[in-house]
Amino acid sequence: MRTETLAMILAGGQGTRLGKLTKEIAKPAVPFGGKYRIIDFALSNCVNSGIKNVGVVTQYQPRELNSHVGNGAAWGLNIHNGGATILQPYSSVEGEKWFKGTAHAIYQNIDFIDRHNPEYVLILSGDHIYKMDYQEMLAFHKMKKAALTVGVIPVPIEEAPRFGIMNTDQTGRIIEFEEKPKEPKSNLASMGVYIFDWAMLKKYLIDNQAKERTMEDFGQHVIPAYLRNNENVFAYAFRDYWKDVGTIESLWEANMEFLDPTHALNIRNSDWRIYSQNPSAPPQFLTAASNVTNAMIVDGCYVAGEVAHSILSHNVKIGKGSVVKDSFIMADVTIGENVTIEYAIVGEHARIHDGAQIIGKEKEIAVVGYSEEIGGLKDEEA
Amino acid sequence: MKKHKVCAILNLNEDGSRLAPLTDTRPITSLPFGCRYRLIDFPFTSLHSAEIESAAFFLTGNGRSLHDHIRSGASWGLDSSIGGGLFPHTEIDIKEAVETHQPNQLSSFYHDQIHYVVRSKADYVVVMGSKMLCNIDIQPLLHYHQEKGSDVTIMYKNVPKETCTASAAESHFSFDAEGTDRITGINLVSHTPEEVGRVALSMGIAIMRSEKFIELTTEAGKQNLKGDTLLLVKNQLEHNKVYGYEYTGYLKDIDDIQSYFDANMDMLNEDNYNALFNRGDAIITKVKNGAPTFYSKEAEVKNAQFASDCFIEGKVENSLIFRKVKVAKGAVIDHSVVMQGSEIGEGSHLEYVILDKGVKVGAGVSLKGTPEDVLVIKKNAVIEAEKGA
Repeated sequence: MRTETLAMILAGGQGTRLGKLTKEIAKPAVPFGGKYRIIDFALSNCVNSGIKNVGVVTQYQPRELNSHVGNGAAWGLNIHNGGATILQPYSSVEGEKWFKGTAHAIYQNIDFIDRHNPEYVLILSGDHIYKMDYQEMLAFHKMKKAALTVGVIPVPIEEAPRFGIMNTDQTGRIIEFEEKPKEPKSNLASMGVYIFDWAMLKKYLIDNQAKERTMEDFGQHVIPAYLRNNENVFAYAFRDYWKDVGTIESLWEANMEFLDPTHALNIRNSDWRIYSQNPSAPPQFLTAASNVTNAMIVDGCYVAGEVAHSILSHNVKIGKGSVVKDSFIMADVTIGENVTIEYAIVGEHARIHDGAQIIGKEKEIAVVGYSEEIGGLKDEEA
Repeated sequence: MKKHKVCAILNLNEDGSRLAPLTDTRPITSLPFGCRYRLIDFPFTSLHSAEIESAAFFLTGNGRSLHDHIRSGASWGLDSSIGGGLFPHTEIDIKEAVETHQPNQLSSFYHDQIHYVVRSKADYVVVMGSKMLCNIDIQPLLHYHQEKGSDVTIMYKNVPKETCTASAAESHFSFDAEGTDRITGINLVSHTPEEVGRVALSMGIAIMRSEKFIELTTEAGKQNLKGDTLLLVKNQLEHNKVYGYEYTGYLKDIDDIQSYFDANMDMLNEDNYNALFNRGDAIITKVKNGAPTFYSKEAEVKNAQFASDCFIEGKVENSLIFRKVKVAKGAVIDHSVVMQGSEIGEGSHLEYVILDKGVKVGAGVSLKGTPEDVLVIKKNAVIEAEKGA
């Protein structure tokens, strides 16, 4: 059975702007919204769009990501004629197959893609929060007889200099691409979502590799090359919620937006679910001493303190007299008694001892790293 | 542990008649419990913790909800392709009806059990049910059994006599002497002397060698005894060394509405909650996707448990709320168990109520039971406030 569309999720990003949170795990594996990891959105979008062959390209700190994606069973991808495949760089007789960039990562995996012999390759980034039906974009791609369709999202023009900006003509055809322009001519930012005709992309990658060996990145090299050669390159505008959670502030902000029950992402809509691993954990226990308002909480949590405008992930314990406000607490965090946490992101497995204070500000979010310990012994020594 | 050393037989044909209407369309074993579990999750988790990969279960009546929950058994590691597996034996009531026309044969119930044990190639068989809610560790039970050189070892718990339910009447042990654990009698609660305050209640969990199981089962089959583990050894105590192994964790005999309700409420006590859920590995259940539970600005929640994917805007106290439950503004829920997918309308008031799955309670409805007489609302019922009331 031939695969019409194969998805390749580029999940190797280092995500240095997330500081401590990406020191040990790849950005797409960073937890989000209480029970998700960022890559769940791209993976779920694939499944919901009927694309059941997905390659997940990993490179940087892949352990957490690999164990999260596994065989893809959580997304219904453990099926005949489909599935999730982790694609990691490796040493081969021709040398090490490390990925120098997004396009180079695809080049290194040509064998994998060819085995599925797809007509189209959908290339996604593993680090954005959004719900999107890729079939609609594919229909657009076919209708336009495009060689490449780039998913774009209109952003406020003042923010456009942060993005790769597509300038189009009246038909939606991309005539110019500018990476982080100082004076943008349009507000159509690339979402990092591409549909390529595989045969043509493969030819570009192989020809280039045989000569200049310069084609490392889609934004910097491949799209400009397509434009130079006058290929049919179109922009497909997406108008729903889309968020790049590349910084601590944007990760915090996206979590706080997620808390809003009227949020555009509409996580409770069962017509377009976001799937994830679901560990078995006891029911959440809000004790007689607790006070929980405007919060999202998942299984395994135990709350004896106050939680306001915050998200608690799996197995978070909060002792008596503690207050958690405007914060995102990741899984397996233990918070002692009389702790105050405000405007913070607390990493998985962190331990916050009795009486500790973690207080950030709206534009300066406090971060506790994975497995970090705050308070406790240090205080006793002082 | 060597592969296939222990196999399991789950007698799930338990009498659920006193749990109606909750058991109208489901066996006791698939009763929802503790916000997100079914009773079967507890024995299955014990099998998983003991690395037992093969189990047969015996079921009467409608098994749809059980099959939907357990599927291949993969969640509990019961789908290994190497010797493991989950072996369903259903419709045993139908087979029984057929057998009444063919007397003098080993009933298919026992035939199936023996067949399974032989095929499993296991050295030992653990037999259990699911209405005795507990979280047991099978490994120490096996070690104890081996240490004692026992023929059959049965798990029990010392409980206050008054807590024994009606059906548990013929299920407590007497030992050959004070302080020893060789079982010499299986008795009726009503036959114990009045001054005895505590009894050794059988949990219906037994371990024995496969050959012993086959021997006892063949005998029970000839006498046409059915279902209960204790029936295997009841008349064989003199010829076999039968020992009791004491369990000290949380136990509740889920036998009627009251005990079911009490068991749920027990979980709001931290000692019980930890004894059942935080003892060793987490209890495994069929996991589902769903959003985190949301508590609004107006929510007032005290001493309550929730599964994920709920939407809570009202007041919830001393209650257990299952998945995908919506509680509207101004609604008050106290001392209640609200199962999956139920919706509680604005300004409604629930007290001492069990709502089965998918119940819709309209706005302004008042439903009240008492601690001794809990009100049960059937699955998918729609309850609106009476006009003009």
